[in-house]
Amino acid sequence: MPKRTDIHKVLIIGSGPIVIGQACEFDYSGTQACKALRGEGYEVVLVNSNPATIMTDPDTADRTYVEPITVEAVTKVIERERPDALLPNMGGQTALNCAVALDEAGVLARHGVEVIGCDIASIQVGEDRELFAAAMRDVGLEVARSGIARSLEDCERVADELGYPVVIRPAFTLGGAGGGMAHDRDELLRIAREGLSLSANGEVLVEQSVEGWKEIEMEVMRDVAGNGIVVCSIENLDPMGVHTGDSITVAPCQTLSDVELQRLRDHSLAVLERVGVACGGSNVQFAVNPTDGRVIVIEMNPRVSRSSALASKATGFPIAKMAALLSVGYTLDEITNDITGATPACFEPSIDYCVVKVPRFAFEKFRGTSETLTTRMKSVGEVMAMGSTFEEALQKACRSLEQGHAGLGADGLMEYVEDDAAFLDLVSRPTPQRIFYVAEALRRGWGERRVHELTGIDPWFLARMGDIVRAERSLREGGVAGLTSERLMAAKEMGFSDAQLAWLVGQREETVRALREVLGVRPLVKTVDTCAGEFASHTNYHYLSYEAGGTTEFRQAARPRVVILSAGPNRIGQGIEFDYCCVHAAMALTARGFETVMVNCNPETVSTDYDTSDRLYFAPLTFEDVMDVVERERPVGVIVTLGGQTPINLARRLAQAGVPIMGTQPDAIDLAEDRDRFSGLLDRLGVAYPPSSTAETIDEAREVALRLGYPLLVRPSYVLGGRGMAIVYGEGDLATYMAEATEVSPDHPVYLDAFLEDAIELDVDALADGTDCHVGSVLEHIEECGIHSGDSACCHPPFSLSDRIVRWVRAITRTLALAVGVRGLLNIQFAVKDEQVLVIEMNPRASRTVPFSSKATGVPLAKLAARIMAGETIAQLRRLGELGEEKDEAGLFAVKEAVMPWARFPGADSTLGPEMKSTGEVMGIGRSFPAAYAKTRRAIDYGLPRGGKVFVSVCDRDKRAIAPVATSLVGLGYELIATAGTAKTLRAAGLACEVVRRVSEGHPNIVDEIAGGEVAFIINTPHGHESRGDGSILRAEAVNRDITCVTALSATTALVQAIVAAREDALDVIALQDLT
Amino acid sequence: MNLLAGADELPRALLALEDGTTLCGRCCGAEGEAFGEIVFNTSMTGYQEVVSDPSYAGQIVAFTYPQIGNYGVTPADDQALGGAGPALRGVVVHDMCFSPSNWRSVGSLPDYLREHGVVAIQGVDTRALTLHIRERGALKAAISTVDLDLRSLVARVRASEPISAHNFVADVSTRKPVDLPAAAACSAGQGRPRVAVIDCGEKRGIAERLVAAGCDATVLPWDTPAADVLAGGYDGAFLSNGPGDPRSVPATMACAIELLGKLSVFGICLGNQMLTLAAGGSVEKLPYGHHGGNEPVMNLLTGKVEISAQNHNYGTVFSSLGPLDPELSDGVGKHATDLRFWSKRRVAPVVRNERFGRIRLTHVNLNDGTPEGIQFLDVPAFSLQYHPEARPGPHDAGYAFASFVRMIKGDPDYLAVDVCEGRAR
Repeated sequence: MPKRTDIHKVLIIGSGPIVIGQACEFDYSGTQACKALRGEGYEVVLVNSNPATIMTDPDTADRTYVEPITVEAVTKVIERERPDALLPNMGGQTALNCAVALDEAGVLARHGVEVIGCDIASIQVGEDRELFAAAMRDVGLEVARSGIARSLEDCERVADELGYPVVIRPAFTLGGAGGGMAHDRDELLRIAREGLSLSANGEVLVEQSVEGWKEIEMEVMRDVAGNGIVVCSIENLDPMGVHTGDSITVAPCQTLSDVELQRLRDHSLAVLERVGVACGGSNVQFAVNPTDGRVIVIEMNPRVSRSSALASKATGFPIAKMAALLSVGYTLDEITNDITGATPACFEPSIDYCVVKVPRFAFEKFRGTSETLTTRMKSVGEVMAMGSTFEEALQKACRSLEQGHAGLGADGLMEYVEDDAAFLDLVSRPTPQRIFYVAEALRRGWGERRVHELTGIDPWFLARMGDIVRAERSLREGGVAGLTSERLMAAKEMGFSDAQLAWLVGQREETVRALREVLGVRPLVKTVDTCAGEFASHTNYHYLSYEAGGTTEFRQAARPRVVILSAGPNRIGQGIEFDYCCVHAAMALTARGFETVMVNCNPETVSTDYDTSDRLYFAPLTFEDVMDVVERERPVGVIVTLGGQTPINLARRLAQAGVPIMGTQPDAIDLAEDRDRFSGLLDRLGVAYPPSSTAETIDEAREVALRLGYPLLVRPSYVLGGRGMAIVYGEGDLATYMAEATEVSPDHPVYLDAFLEDAIELDVDALADGTDCHVGSVLEHIEECGIHSGDSACCHPPFSLSDRIVRWVRAITRTLALAVGVRGLLNIQFAVKDEQVLVIEMNPRASRTVPFSSKATGVPLAKLAARIMAGETIAQLRRLGELGEEKDEAGLFAVKEAVMPWARFPGADSTLGPEMKSTGEVMGIGRSFPAAYAKTRRAIDYGLPRGGKVFVSVCDRDKRAIAPVATSLVGLGYELIATAGTAKTLRAAGLACEVVRRVSEGHPNIVDEIAGGEVAFIINTPHGHESRGDGSILRAEAVNRDITCVTALSATTALVQAIVAAREDALDVIALQDLT
Repeated sequence: MNLLAGADELPRALLALEDGTTLCGRCCGAEGEAFGEIVFNTSMTGYQEVVSDPSYAGQIVAFTYPQIGNYGVTPADDQALGGAGPALRGVVVHDMCFSPSNWRSVGSLPDYLREHGVVAIQGVDTRALTLHIRERGALKAAISTVDLDLRSLVARVRASEPISAHNFVADVSTRKPVDLPAAAACSAGQGRPRVAVIDCGEKRGIAERLVAAGCDATVLPWDTPAADVLAGGYDGAFLSNGPGDPRSVPATMACAIELLGKLSVFGICLGNQMLTLAAGGSVEKLPYGHHGGNEPVMNLLTGKVEISAQNHNYGTVFSSLGPLDPELSDGVGKHATDLRFWSKRRVAPVVRNERFGRIRLTHVNLNDGTPEGIQFLDVPAFSLQYHPEARPGPHDAGYAFASFVRMIKGDPDYLAVDVCEGRAR
């Protein structure tokens, strides 16, 4: 059927901020959907609160609303835009939930908005466990035996009936939040309590456990005519019991025969038909008993997902784009396969390589929480690698993680405990590092059978890893003399990196590379073409692989090439923002006549969409792999300053290898990043900075502390996201820190800065071309200095600074940009204390705030930076009208607020500090600062605390300042409750307040009060290392109960203002297209 | 198996193509030499079904999926009838698995190949080989573990006989009639149609599906005279798949001419070509054939697309069956070379055939616009070029067997079946 002509305007809902379980894969899908629908002539209206996305670029959709994804805000958008249809299956669970809520509120019916792509009933069947189980029985499929529970007693009863272990799954949550596996009653109660409180409808499913079964996912598409295809099968290396988002997964499925796989295909399509997915992409998960092939349906998601993004990247079949086209009436046979350009999209991709995805975790940021992987997702990012064999892909994926691994071990990185009992636990317990312990167990000769019994990992995977280990031994024994061209080629076919080979034969990596060069052992360019070579392809989607006697598919290009190194796996501190910058660079440089070459290994991103750049290499961002791409492509320049710290860390070695670096040069990068060189520069320029020094030993550190005085901000060098950063308040803290610091970055000393208490922090993003500098934005942080800039809310334009200060900040930015020699983007963090401006640090690269700054000001900083790097000047850009004059006043305020993952990491303390812990961000635009801030709170919490009691407990330092805030709260109708100390302050200010016991003072205490459900929100400011104990228990309880807990006084003030604003102001929705 | 994980102990092997291309690797099956026509197969699973498919007689199969043998082998997946071994000449893989894992597995693929004397080579850049075959077409080739001299082996490949020179059907067909055991659930007789299976290399998967559809089937040799079939009291005849050039089996074609109009006839693959030739039409050799499990085929009667399993190098030339009947072809009177002309219009065109009256195009391959199925409107017969039995591959077209039974029972609308039917349960 041709496309529908009865609809003209389509509303797409995004997925909101990056959170665990819902990351930038939905930017990828949403962006594809916008492009596809606009390409077909539809007008697209978009709502998404996440500014760091390509989909919220003003030119991706026709009308872009960076607004909270709430019924309230989306209703306003619908009222204003009057769309004909709503496409809800591109924005993850957030969008689906919002669509259901809009339907229930009658908004869709009232405004005649038709849901396309999937209907509300099918969303409900897909998500409601009971309905789903019944539906599956209808089509003759088995589901795990289970019972619905609405209380702890229910849970116990069902678990007793089913027998332990059982899995607890709450309804309508992301990435299995609030779920888990219980092996006994205690575990059951603990998990069920959490699950019940997180479940959107107060229900959890208690289910028979299929721990240890194979976990298989099928990515399926269906059109309105009823044509169905399986785009990709994905097999989890980690068996059932570990959330698929936390599992190592492999595509295509490796250990099922055709008979078994075709049966799953039939099941998948039957599931879609029964659930009622009229058209679009869905994901169906199965558990397969490894001993008899019995199949159980685990779940289905009637929407695009993280897995469908992975499947799209793994096969070259763009599921989201297709799903969007299907939703407006096309059938699969009417759409052309982009890659071949000649065959229809109605086929099943055949791939002729193996794909491995490995998740990346951030447990080091959340001390106190268990690293054991469960059915509840905890990973923050992932990498994907392609190879001719599973072995090659697995090793490439391991080195793509950027956690120091050069492959599956054999790199000297990890030390393994000798003790067998302790090691046994490491092998049998699923954790982020388990794959390396499994390899080590095989190295120790434990045998595949034993390791299989301990882990449940299929023997096929273990045999492949066994082969890697066997090869490793052969290589080590053969030494450098054993590296004949045949054996070296064989090692590379197995995915060994030069670094691993160097370690195995006791040579330097450069030597191995030189040897490869001499022996002619070089990688070949291979193409992802969806059809295993059956048809010619015209898309330059590549990976590198080694083949003895093979043929390269490299094609020369007529235009000069620029290689853009992107940011690798998402992690806390380096995420979608950098991918955004790289995508912008590709757009800008392609438009300027370059052939852009993207290198990245993150399957969730827009940068790894094959039509973002002219050429895409799915490759690890290591020196070896990047050099391999560069040697094939011979670019005029390589861009290293847009992908965060990842490419920055490669810059020097690349330059030394003769690679032309485009933009800011490695020496300039070093000048800004090397603390000694940088403070020398600041001294020379007469720019103030907090007194600081370095130390390599505890004695040196003590001496520095004596000189500078406490508190001190201590940190290792060359890190992103404040990794390993802390504020120390005394010698005890300092000693502890120094003892732990060595594991962070062994080659570099520790930095100690005088910590500026109560200073205002600023972020500045600017462009420079060597002679000129354009300050793009000055962002004022809400939280004071000492809280990592990535975790702090910020506002553009500054809301509390004088023009004099802002002018001063701009002047310093200009001076430093030119003095360092930046060509491209730079970011400087300032502290303003006592009317003095001090420089905290400078990053001569794109920062996390570039997308936000660009959206707040309407100036596409990353695009302009790329053009500057490619030779244009700021003056030229101004003459072309691409860049206006610097300005701060826009008449509107834009606020960025960070989103914290506390609920995923029970046991870790939920306070903000110098180490970044947020996973994502939201943006609010308003006519006042409080209105904009109120929007960000709604975008995160989907509401603002409306009334009730406010619990206040502040540290001594904040006692003076709390009274005015508390007065406002009382004025707003809240009742105050406080601990004795704070109560004294409040009463002195003439405020009535109830006193409650602290947790350590016995019952009834504040935690009981919270459990009673009367506390609307909590103000709790910890001081220094007092963060453990009472406050920590309190904050954990707030996280469990999903109650807003503000831990900084500055944020408290902002929140109170926001509550006022939300009451007075209707918080009108604003389209980005209307801003200029 | 990687060289560093034990493959260095395997004998060296050489793959040579008639155009002079040579690729070195290691032996991962029987040692020796095999000459044949090289084709690639893009199925990611189902290697045992492919290797044992009689239609591959005379061919060397290169798998595009790089790691083959992962889940081992099991007798249940063998596609040759009556326990006959693989009929193909040789196997080319990138990486052979010697340590498989699956509960159904009874042994490894390399052992299986060795047992059955199938020569195989691993360590080859199968993607490069595939692109080469795509550009050059199916080529004569050889795998050898004996003659590792590049020039010598290429010269011998060039001197080897082409696939069309030999009647491979005679090699793989049954020698004498064999009754297929009835499906366990049903008893013989009692309204079950009796079907004669003319075995040109019948796949076990087809036999099983015929039985499952309710047929009492007897497998007959490929050159059984039509009179014998007609004397057998059958309700229907099935013309099987099979290897080689369809023009090398005139006896089967002659039989088909006689059967048409007298029995309900269903043909698959070579059987489709037999019906085409029987109707006086012509078959052509495709550049590199269709070998895989992901080919989209539209049933023009329903407009639904089936993802199909395919394995053929030859195909029907639809226009050769006769001039179009514009009245039955949406007013179109001129044949289109690319049959996607019809799938785009959702029209099943009909030709006037000199011998058998009206013949309808029912199925079209959406990848290249070639015909995939025809239906005789004036005699009870239809045929498919692809493999509705799958094995390996998707089950979308499985309705064809039920259609056969419906045709035998006289249902005029027997072929317009939705692919979704029978997917659940």
